[in-house]
Amino acid sequence: MFEEFLVFGAVQSAVYALLAMGYSLVYGVGRILNLAHGAYYLLATYIFYWILPFFVGEFGFILGMILTLIIVSIIGMASYLLIIKPLQDHEISVLIGTFALAFFCEQLVSFLFDPRSKVIGSIWNINIEFLGVSILLHRIILIIAALLAVGSITLFINKSKLGKSIRAVSQDREAASLMGINVDRILMYTVTISAFLAGLAAVFYAPIDRVAPYMGWVVLIDSIAIVILGGMDSLSGSLVGAFILGYVRMFTNFFISETISTILPVVVIIIILVIRPRGLFGKKEIK
Amino acid sequence: MGVILEVKNLTKKFSGLTAVNDFSFEIKRGEFVGLIGPNGAGKTTIFNLISGFEKPSSGKITFNGKDITNMKPFKIVNLGIARTFQIVRAFKFMTLLDNIKVSCLSTRGKELAKQYGIDESASSILAAVGLVDKARIPPVILPHGDLRKLQIGKALGTNPQLLLLDEPFSGLSHEEQQGITELIKKLHDDGVTVFMTGHVLRELMHLVPRVIAMNQGKYITEGPPQEVANNKIVLEAYLGKGSEQLA
Amino acid sequence: MTKQIERISNEIKEFPKYLKDWAKTFKGGLTVLCLIGLFLMPLVTTSPYFLGIFILAMIYSIYAASWDFLAGFVGKVSFGQAIFFGLSGYITAASLKFIHYPWWGALIFGSLFAALVGLIIGLITLRLKGPYLALGTMVIAIILQKLFALYELKPLLWGDEGISGIPPLSTNAIEVYYVILIFMIISFIVMIKLTKINIGIIFRSIRDDETGSDASGINTVKYKIIAFMISSIFAGIAGGLFVMINRAVNPLIFQSLYSFYPIVMAALGGIATISGAALGAFIFVFLGEIVRDLADPLFIFSIVLILIVRFASEGILKSALERLKEFWDVLIGR
Repeated sequence: MFEEFLVFGAVQSAVYALLAMGYSLVYGVGRILNLAHGAYYLLATYIFYWILPFFVGEFGFILGMILTLIIVSIIGMASYLLIIKPLQDHEISVLIGTFALAFFCEQLVSFLFDPRSKVIGSIWNINIEFLGVSILLHRIILIIAALLAVGSITLFINKSKLGKSIRAVSQDREAASLMGINVDRILMYTVTISAFLAGLAAVFYAPIDRVAPYMGWVVLIDSIAIVILGGMDSLSGSLVGAFILGYVRMFTNFFISETISTILPVVVIIIILVIRPRGLFGKKEIK
Repeated sequence: MGVILEVKNLTKKFSGLTAVNDFSFEIKRGEFVGLIGPNGAGKTTIFNLISGFEKPSSGKITFNGKDITNMKPFKIVNLGIARTFQIVRAFKFMTLLDNIKVSCLSTRGKELAKQYGIDESASSILAAVGLVDKARIPPVILPHGDLRKLQIGKALGTNPQLLLLDEPFSGLSHEEQQGITELIKKLHDDGVTVFMTGHVLRELMHLVPRVIAMNQGKYITEGPPQEVANNKIVLEAYLGKGSEQLA
Repeated sequence: MTKQIERISNEIKEFPKYLKDWAKTFKGGLTVLCLIGLFLMPLVTTSPYFLGIFILAMIYSIYAASWDFLAGFVGKVSFGQAIFFGLSGYITAASLKFIHYPWWGALIFGSLFAALVGLIIGLITLRLKGPYLALGTMVIAIILQKLFALYELKPLLWGDEGISGIPPLSTNAIEVYYVILIFMIISFIVMIKLTKINIGIIFRSIRDDETGSDASGINTVKYKIIAFMISSIFAGIAGGLFVMINRAVNPLIFQSLYSFYPIVMAALGGIATISGAALGAFIFVFLGEIVRDLADPLFIFSIVLILIVRFASEGILKSALERLKEFWDVLIGR
């Protein structure tokens, strides 16, 4: 039981890490609280669900994943250009606009598909023996993929030229633009990356979870909880938060009650906001 | 002439940076004092500490004998200290009259304003700062000089005993400066204790009988402007940084 | 003191003239016409269906206005107005069904409870800046939704099914119509008046520059909480009425959608106008009915909201004209 808990916790943390990283980036770089973040996940799961029948076999599955990722990244870019960018000056308008987008996406998928929950099968559904536990191969691949993604993004942010620009904008937008950085473009890339990461979480997790219109909200709340726990403008903080929340959630799920574990993220948000709004590693900017 | 404001060993640290370092001074009731120092010396921080917008790391601030060191800003205002801001603040979507009315609706301001009616009190304050003909206009279209006057008006609405003016001449044309200078002089004549900052001595020299000089958070010296202007350390603080003229 | 009494008696004496002058203005005349129309509506049709649409619109008007009051005049944007809507709904329903209060008693009880909750929520969330306040309120609403739906808490909070079979306000649809119309009129008069008197000036100062308001000696925390309570009590009135019309309540009343409604409606009619909330609510409800056969109204509305926020952050129609006129008045010094 305990070993299962370890594995499932790792899976949950991995998914959370992908979601939170993108979310934290967008907030850190643009001070944007993107309420459509869950919508990227949602749309990705439905896109994947829809195009998969057109591809066959193992290679097809992977191709489907890649195609979904490309599409959702484009959607992310579009959401920035059409909704976030024009409304940037008023924080509240961005909140309302992305909130509306999230609603719209939920309605769209309910309308196009139907409100019932759906399932995507995984091609990696063989069980592997690991440390005395029988684990679905898919889960192992998920964890590996997440680690690779998180690692690559971290490397990218720290070493690459674009990554440096991103960090510059997150530290001081005005100074960065004075240095010739195209802040608008950086924001666009950041939002696109966050959509990509959400999509990555989606294509890996949905096959072992489910596809349903309300998932957008679940993902959004989870992402917000992790990022607030870790500290809104701290990337490493959100990774730590992902790990903590992932395991605490699994713990509650396994050993306390499944229903209560679904309320957990929400409770975390309130507690943190009231007790220590900057989270574990955030800077003292909130008040 | 008792002491109205006493600042003892005031220190403020911001993660690594010491903005105000063991600063002490006194202001007597009815005085007109200036606080000078080059840009970044910590003048605004001192104002923020006195008016309650920042909490000191250590030290004590006493107003009329009362310890106000960790009090909330609005409480300090209601005890009798009002301030203006270096970067002008105004309620941008409200008329000038309403801007002043807000101050008149504070606990302290209301005590005074009630006697004549809040509207009338606010109007007379607007008149006192020379803006009564623009009473129904929102601040957004006003020139900078008028905005500075508005700020002073807003401070007056709270019926202050001590007025903290943060760089009241900053960004003003010579004419506008004249206007503000006259206004401030009149306030002082009416009995308000005035404590103002400036980083160019020129305006202050002719205005205040006493000046306190600071640099990098530390107290340097105080005295009549001429003396302070010739103080060696003060000169270094300014000339060392660049082209500020003192005379 | 006598000066105040003098001023109030003056106001009362001048009221008829004030009313006449107001009715002559564009905005006033339009409002009077709409009100007359609303009063006469039951003479045009007694169909419960049509009256029901108007009733829903009026209830939503109060709800939207409660949000607009807080967001437009105090600058605090709540994404959880459903908290008060729903809690008042539950309390009203429970008092009606289990304690057999008369409808107005249950409504008062529900609304006062909402105000109390407003106080608590205000204390909890008011230290939070803009987006965090929106987040916090949104999240509390979600917690309530999950809490009230919890199977384990069913004996206390009625679970998934909620409370049904609530005794009606009245069996006569026309009576219900007029009662709610009166509630709407009174609510609006109160909220609008509040924005015009001194406390309204304090609220607006908090909206425009909270630090500056502190610097002007205003106890902003106290007034923010008062504003929260005013907003929550009206949301509570709307919630209580809503539940009485539907004769039932369940956890879905707390869903984000219901927090979203007042925002759309206020945005439609123009944020920071209070009266715009009524316009927005009516448009929302009527369009919803018209569109119902074509597609899910929600679908349409999310598009509409995106469009509004994107292209006309001041709201549409009335608001645009209004703002223009108001600004012009201010400019020429009226």
